[in-house]
Amino acid sequence: MIYKNIVCPLCGCLCDDIEVVTENGRVADVKNACTFSKSKFLNHAKDRAKPRIKKNGKLVEVPIEEALDEAAEVLKKADFPLIYGLSSTETDAQRLAVELAELIGASIDNTSSVCHGPTIQAAQDCGAAKCTLGEVKNRADLVIFWGCNPAEAHIKHATRYSITPRGLYTESGKKGREIVHIDVRETKTSKMANIFVKVKPGQDYELLSAFRAVLKGYDGGDVAGVPSETIKQLAEKMKSCKFGVIFFGLGLTMTGGKHMNVDAALRLVRDLNDHTKFAIIPMRGHYNVSGANDVMTWCTGYPYAVNFSKGYPVYNPGEFSAVDILARRECDATLIIASDPVAHFPAQASKHLAKIPTIVIDPKVSLTSLIAKIVIPSAIAGIECDGTAYRMDGIPLRLKKVIDSEFSPDREILKRIIEKVKA
Amino acid sequence: MNYMKVILISGRTVEQGTSLEISKTSEEYSNNVAMIMMNENDMKEIGVKEGENVEVNTKFGSAVVRCKESKIDHGIAFMPYGPWVNMVIGADTQGTGMPDSKGVEAEILTTDKDVLRIANVITHIKGIK
Repeated sequence: MIYKNIVCPLCGCLCDDIEVVTENGRVADVKNACTFSKSKFLNHAKDRAKPRIKKNGKLVEVPIEEALDEAAEVLKKADFPLIYGLSSTETDAQRLAVELAELIGASIDNTSSVCHGPTIQAAQDCGAAKCTLGEVKNRADLVIFWGCNPAEAHIKHATRYSITPRGLYTESGKKGREIVHIDVRETKTSKMANIFVKVKPGQDYELLSAFRAVLKGYDGGDVAGVPSETIKQLAEKMKSCKFGVIFFGLGLTMTGGKHMNVDAALRLVRDLNDHTKFAIIPMRGHYNVSGANDVMTWCTGYPYAVNFSKGYPVYNPGEFSAVDILARRECDATLIIASDPVAHFPAQASKHLAKIPTIVIDPKVSLTSLIAKIVIPSAIAGIECDGTAYRMDGIPLRLKKVIDSEFSPDREILKRIIEKVKA
Repeated sequence: MNYMKVILISGRTVEQGTSLEISKTSEEYSNNVAMIMMNENDMKEIGVKEGENVEVNTKFGSAVVRCKESKIDHGIAFMPYGPWVNMVIGADTQGTGMPDSKGVEAEILTTDKDVLRIANVITHIKGIK
């Protein structure tokens, strides 16, 4: 069976031109896919999780019903449960996770707290002039990649949206676009750019502010290791382009300054709109982390780090974000869904997951599942079940099912747990 | 024993992203993630060759990883996202929710210790006081 125009459930690009060939209930071939996407589709059946419960210190396989019962019991008994993850599943599952959080008075957080959470905080402070990736493809003649490495993280971004595609007003493709890469180190992305600017580690805020100062007619000299002349030339390019866009990554959000770095970038783009049309888009990592923010916002009013202990949603990153709750050892049970904090949280935070009852819902054996008390396997959204995901520019796209699975989708598992908690 | 102070950055690599989709318990994942990239001259200064192990120490913890040569600047080192780099990153977010996952001050030393295998990484995490 050949499926065309499949949406890829890997990164925030949500490339919708994937061709999947299936044979005997397995993915046999994948076309138009990047190396990550290929690896996800072709290895979907490898290393699958099984329903397990820790008994006498060992994870033993149990019937799925027993794992669901035990999960509901743990969540009912908990005084301060935490629900975390959500970014690698579809929006219906995300909505049900919020429903469960409200039901049990939990804190609920998604992986944006350790990726673009600071971006959201900055946008709440000063707004963001955004656009779609379609507008970038059809209009942008100046593309700046700042603190990101799409050549290794969003591999088809360059060919589908930002560097080489020919669009309505960009008929000459790459020739008609100026590509700038600003980062602390030269990467494969620098090789795709016309201009590479090396900024000193931890000094992005200073360089962003220097561009804003030059636009206002000031000369701050050399800043963050970048010569004054380069800053002036680049500022002139930004002012004089027809349609400019900044794509930025965790180079701004994970370094000192965090949301203030992004704040400076958003304000630079706002200033540039006095001269020309300019937009800014965060390079979202997980394929539906953008959806996790949108779903949580339309369900609770807030995009992440929400607590329901008072019966209504309270938002506070730093207090109700997962790393902080775990590092302070506040939660007494966790439900981890579609994420692997043991692989990606500081060990000082993830150690607490091993000390409390941790429930993991995941299609695969994750590192978090190795320290969990209860493991519930699920179908892979976008391969084994359908659903909706939001692209990095906020455009929702429909994920399709290409393979039948013995596992239930995350949304079915969450529905069952909610029923059992209510019972 | 030679050592050097660096600014440590963590991030995505093609190999890390591809191997985690295969299996996080695979040899491939450990080989691609339990590593640090440094500049040639910095490696010479410490006295470490491509493929040899180094110990990475920060005020938050310690990890042993394989060293790989890279065109990165003097004084900067890069580690792929994963449990090894997270042994040396702190959990304090200064009220933002986001740990300092890029730009951590670290000390790199030569070592004869082995890289922790994934099962031992889990044991290590469980054992943190």
